[in-house]
Amino acid sequence: MQIEVRGVSKRYGKVRAVGNASFSVEEGQLLVILGPSGCGKTTLLRLIAGLETVTSGTIHIAGREVTDLPPDKRNISMVFQSYALFPHLSVRENIIFGLKVRKVPGQEIERRLARVIDLLGLGDRLDSKPGELSGGMRQRVALGRAIIAEKPVTLMDEPLSNLDAKLRNSMRREICSLQRRLGIGMVYVTHDQIEAMTMADRIVLMRDGSIIQDDVPENFYEQPANTFVARFIGTPPMNIIPLCATTGGAALEPGGEILFPGIDGNRFKLGIRPENIRIAEQGRPAVVTGQEYLGSDTFIACEINGHELIVRTRGRKTMLEGTRVHLTWDPHTLCLFDAQTEQRLESLPPGRKEG
Amino acid sequence: MTPSRLWLQLETVAAWLLGILWALPLLYAFWAAFHPAAYAVKFDLAAPLTLANFIEAWTTAPFARYFVNTILYTTMTTALQFVLCTLAAYAFACHDWKGKDLVFSLILIQLMVMPDQLLVVNYQTMTALNLVDTIPAISLPYIASAFGVFLLRQNFKQVPIALAEAARVEGAGPLTILLKVYVPLSKAVYLAYGLVSISWHWNNFLWPLVITNSVTTRPITVGLSIFGSPENGVNFAIVSAGTLMSVAPLLIGFLLFQHQFVHSFMRAGIK
Repeated sequence: MQIEVRGVSKRYGKVRAVGNASFSVEEGQLLVILGPSGCGKTTLLRLIAGLETVTSGTIHIAGREVTDLPPDKRNISMVFQSYALFPHLSVRENIIFGLKVRKVPGQEIERRLARVIDLLGLGDRLDSKPGELSGGMRQRVALGRAIIAEKPVTLMDEPLSNLDAKLRNSMRREICSLQRRLGIGMVYVTHDQIEAMTMADRIVLMRDGSIIQDDVPENFYEQPANTFVARFIGTPPMNIIPLCATTGGAALEPGGEILFPGIDGNRFKLGIRPENIRIAEQGRPAVVTGQEYLGSDTFIACEINGHELIVRTRGRKTMLEGTRVHLTWDPHTLCLFDAQTEQRLESLPPGRKEG
Repeated sequence: MTPSRLWLQLETVAAWLLGILWALPLLYAFWAAFHPAAYAVKFDLAAPLTLANFIEAWTTAPFARYFVNTILYTTMTTALQFVLCTLAAYAFACHDWKGKDLVFSLILIQLMVMPDQLLVVNYQTMTALNLVDTIPAISLPYIASAFGVFLLRQNFKQVPIALAEAARVEGAGPLTILLKVYVPLSKAVYLAYGLVSISWHWNNFLWPLVITNSVTTRPITVGLSIFGSPENGVNFAIVSAGTLMSVAPLLIGFLLFQHQFVHSFMRAGIK
């Protein structure tokens, strides 16, 4: 196991930044810490890096306890959100900064530098200052500085957040393939669920300093731990609508067709992904309230009993506001959440086939 | 003509007047120094040019020695200020320790104390250290410059903390971080502060006058005042020549670094 975080907490005075976080990163795995801003994900990364000290808990890196060690003794390298390149040093000096500080022999430095330049394609910019480089190039230099250290673990703090959307896509792929090729363990912090879903071997989702779900990406999408995860992952997010209690079970509206017989509707919420809803001839009646055309898809907003549902349809669809439609879905794509705790129920009560 | 243009022209005239008024003593010194003594108070474009005044001034007073003293004193002061202020500023800007704010406010209070007020106390200290009439004695009271600490601290605080953290992760210790990150990134401030400090100490007069009393320690300002004092008989031509010689290095330096000079004083004022 490359990194093991056990029961780590961090408090600043009375404020709890990270509470009782535990997870582990296997060798060569890319773990993404995901969460909205202010959820404590960067703090957690800084705790692993040793830039902050834990209030309680332990951290092991590469089989060694590092909880009380300074950053340079933890066998890690790090890429900062701002890249943290030294503006007064050239690209070459920036990359080999750590090796020089650690007094690595000159020949070894040259050998490693040649390899990193080759990996990142920085050959013709070695003598430029960071200020003369584009955002993408700076990002590469920052990566180079992390890679050349040849540490078993690399920590990344929102490394792509300063790039434009197009560059972000290509750098995302580049970082991924680099990580696979070098076989390094990586902890990657981001607030971008697309980065998390595409890059991660495993995702740790945080909210208010706590880990909400620690799972593989597909489970985040298909089996979200609670309504927060369900709405955080996926664009547009999962539709969550409160159920109503009706004689004989739970329905979408009072007196409506029973979806889940034999349960108390007031205690549950229904969750369904927009692409799992179909507009059909028969099914739940709904009213169209708006639409968004995205090229490959059209999101159609519908309303059932005052609750909005987004439906994802392929291609272009024109539906006027106020149109009456019928919605249908496969019951096994439904999620059921506890209305009180917001937690997802592991097993779905037997439902009624729709349509 | 619009009022604003009139105003602009008035400003230009006023600026020229002030500038000429300010430069007048210097221009006079140039006039007197390069002409025979007879023309010191007589303006005549046809007056013969001469270097005799410089030669006489140079030979009658040990100007060479004074120069050496001044150069030793200013470089020593500035160098020690750099070292001390850098370390202090680093402690204040980048490290947390108990009582930091209190100590820093004490240092700021030092900014408000005129050095002249401490003349007697400083003299007593130098006597106790057995340093009276030595070049280190001229330097020592100035090396813990509150201004320098403040200036560098402000500048260090502007260096993104992520740079220091990146260096830490890469294995750099506190001193390496200071020397490889903070100091190189503050080059402009060091230049500015160095220029201000050198020109200030080159011109410093009162304290060196009090603490020195021999040729081997006297800086050029004190030497010049003795050279030009009435007991020696006032010969404006020779005094002007001596004055020009003493300010020449600063003057040349100013002309060379004019841009940086103006900027450094502005920076020193703003930051």
